[in-house]
Amino acid sequence: MKAKPAVAPPPEPPKVKLTDGALQILQTLQRDARLVDFLMEDIASYADEQVGAAVRSIHADSKASLVRHITLAPVIDGVEGTNHKLDSSKAPDPNRIKLIGNVPASGKASGGTLRHRGWQATSVNLPAIGKQDVSIIAPAEIEIE
Amino acid sequence: MSQYIIGIDLGTTNSALAFAPMDGSGKDTPEVTLFPIAQLANPGEVADFDLLASSLYLPGEKEFVEGALALPWNPQPSFITGRFARVRGVENASRLVGSAKSWLSHQAADPTQPLLPLSAPEGVAKISPLEASRQYLLHLRSAWDHTHPDAKLAQQAVLITVPASFDAAARDLTQRAAKLAGYPEVTIIEEPQAAFYAWIERNPNWREQVKPGDLILVVDIGGGTTDFTLISVTDQSGELQLERIAVGDHLLLGGDNMDLAVARFAEQQFAEKGTKLDALQFHALWQQGRTAKEALLAEGAPASQPLTILGRGSGLVGGTIKGKIARDDVRNLILEGFFPPVPSDAAPQRNRRAALAEVGLNYASDAAVTKHLAQFLRNAGNVKPTHLLLNGGVLQSSAIEQRLFEVLNSWQSNAVVELKNDTKRADLMHAVAHGAAYYGIARSGKGVRIRGGVPRTYYVGIESSLPAVPGLAAPMKALAVVPFGLEEGSKVELPQRKFALVVGEPAEFRFFSSVSRRNDPAGFLLDEIGDSLEELAPIEVFLPPHTDGIREEIVPVTLESYVTETGMLELWCVAADGRRWKLEFTVRERAAAA
Repeated sequence: MKAKPAVAPPPEPPKVKLTDGALQILQTLQRDARLVDFLMEDIASYADEQVGAAVRSIHADSKASLVRHITLAPVIDGVEGTNHKLDSSKAPDPNRIKLIGNVPASGKASGGTLRHRGWQATSVNLPAIGKQDVSIIAPAEIEIE
Repeated sequence: MSQYIIGIDLGTTNSALAFAPMDGSGKDTPEVTLFPIAQLANPGEVADFDLLASSLYLPGEKEFVEGALALPWNPQPSFITGRFARVRGVENASRLVGSAKSWLSHQAADPTQPLLPLSAPEGVAKISPLEASRQYLLHLRSAWDHTHPDAKLAQQAVLITVPASFDAAARDLTQRAAKLAGYPEVTIIEEPQAAFYAWIERNPNWREQVKPGDLILVVDIGGGTTDFTLISVTDQSGELQLERIAVGDHLLLGGDNMDLAVARFAEQQFAEKGTKLDALQFHALWQQGRTAKEALLAEGAPASQPLTILGRGSGLVGGTIKGKIARDDVRNLILEGFFPPVPSDAAPQRNRRAALAEVGLNYASDAAVTKHLAQFLRNAGNVKPTHLLLNGGVLQSSAIEQRLFEVLNSWQSNAVVELKNDTKRADLMHAVAHGAAYYGIARSGKGVRIRGGVPRTYYVGIESSLPAVPGLAAPMKALAVVPFGLEEGSKVELPQRKFALVVGEPAEFRFFSSVSRRNDPAGFLLDEIGDSLEELAPIEVFLPPHTDGIREEIVPVTLESYVTETGMLELWCVAADGRRWKLEFTVRERAAAA
């Protein structure tokens, strides 16, 4: 039996916790679109016009940020409000399809009205998490006069 | 043998790279493709963009988390180039380098000295405009090499575009930056010509759109510069020939100035309502002003466009500032401010310079592009162009396009015809890189080539042999050493004029150029240096002392000028025995007596 050559162990990859990705998305949407600022603000006292002006900008930036990092597609690419056929031999995959209304006891149906097309992420393009502290969603900003 | 032809548009605000396979797999002209450039979009995030922002940020030691600036080809870059440099530069402008290209043609500052960022605080190691240009080119090379490990850029045929108005020294610096960035010997091509090549590339039937006798005016308005070029169409034994016959002066005036004008106007409107914007808010306004300008100058534009500046801090909705900008105001600002209807004898206002001008970029003192255009056409010999080709992001606006036509047509009786592009207008942003790659193909024999040569006449100063008067500089005459239009691969000799060079001492020649004097042959002596000549940084030569025992003190030489195949101008001193020394372009501050 041959002795194994001495090889330095490969450097340990940085430990990534399951929640890190969630925080990263929040970080990204805050950085690109200030979404966390918006969600955490008490907007009850502002006039609709004031909210509307801000939302247009936040919406555009959030969307741009989202589509840059995650490719979204409908689960069922159909027209909402029209009939959609299902395979009546088996209950649909609950991940993908949720039956609502008069759902038969068997959980099987031959079709129904498409109420919501659903969303799925077909690809995720997030940068690898390096040494940054993901629990910081946005750093505090201090301007030097 | 190179596999690709690579065209690089090294722009003032954005750069682009286009490429074509050398062997177009049997096609007449190979297809030109835009290269997506990987760059830092955010800390820790590298993404591809069509353009590399020509911005460079000098990060502080502890400014970013370790590894956040890593690029696929460099784990620890010392500079940030591209998109994120621009983003971070808004927050900390004193570490941002921009407009490096405009400094390459600066007449009163040395672009090889660490000058930038101008306002860097003490302790920040500044870099030279040359180094900044090198960094952009290095980024492009690294990004290319990373995706083409088997066809590294150093082995390809590379072309880099420069403004037609770049003088010989600025072209030389561009080539130097490329060399320092590990490029092979690059070919220099003028941007308006590249734009014209791009038009040819996209319009295979172009020969049906122009005919002998036509005169094509190319107006190229980039982010930071405006460039004019005239191309004449002639007939040579049945084949259409293209010749570039005139280029304009260097104008630091472009789309960025227009966006700034809109933003300043909107800022003023906010101020009148009692809202003062800080630097970051102003930047947001600038961005929105650009979008609003494009929307309001388009056909069927709404009467106004909303402007929204979100509140700073976490009081986002509460602090949001609302405003709007009216279509008529924007049209007035841009069309009347930058493209006013002027008579054909209009001349741009010249700035009276303060005696002690701060070193900065020499921005055009008159923002009216149409006045500069009128002067350009007059200088070119009162010519009447038959066709107009527009290039640059600004000219995607139909209102500006229409105004340019109206003004041009008011100067002449025959209506100017537009050379239209088949493809999407958005491509005007990338046309220059495309055209450069096409020119590379044309140089290899496939495709049409514009003849042109040197777009200026160059002169050296000669002191006249009058008795010196105390307190007065000896009067200067100017000897034409490079005639207008000297073509690639050709040279001129000036045997009739001898200069005595002292061995072991640097000899310096004052150096002038003119874009308007286009008929002075080499050897022509101009008695008086008037307004039509512009003084450039001096050129110099150094004859090293001999080591082989020959004791020579003075060597009589004659001058020779030569344009290389890559479009570079060279001046040489030649001794009677055939020894030659190259005159180098200097970049230091020009003589105060200028």
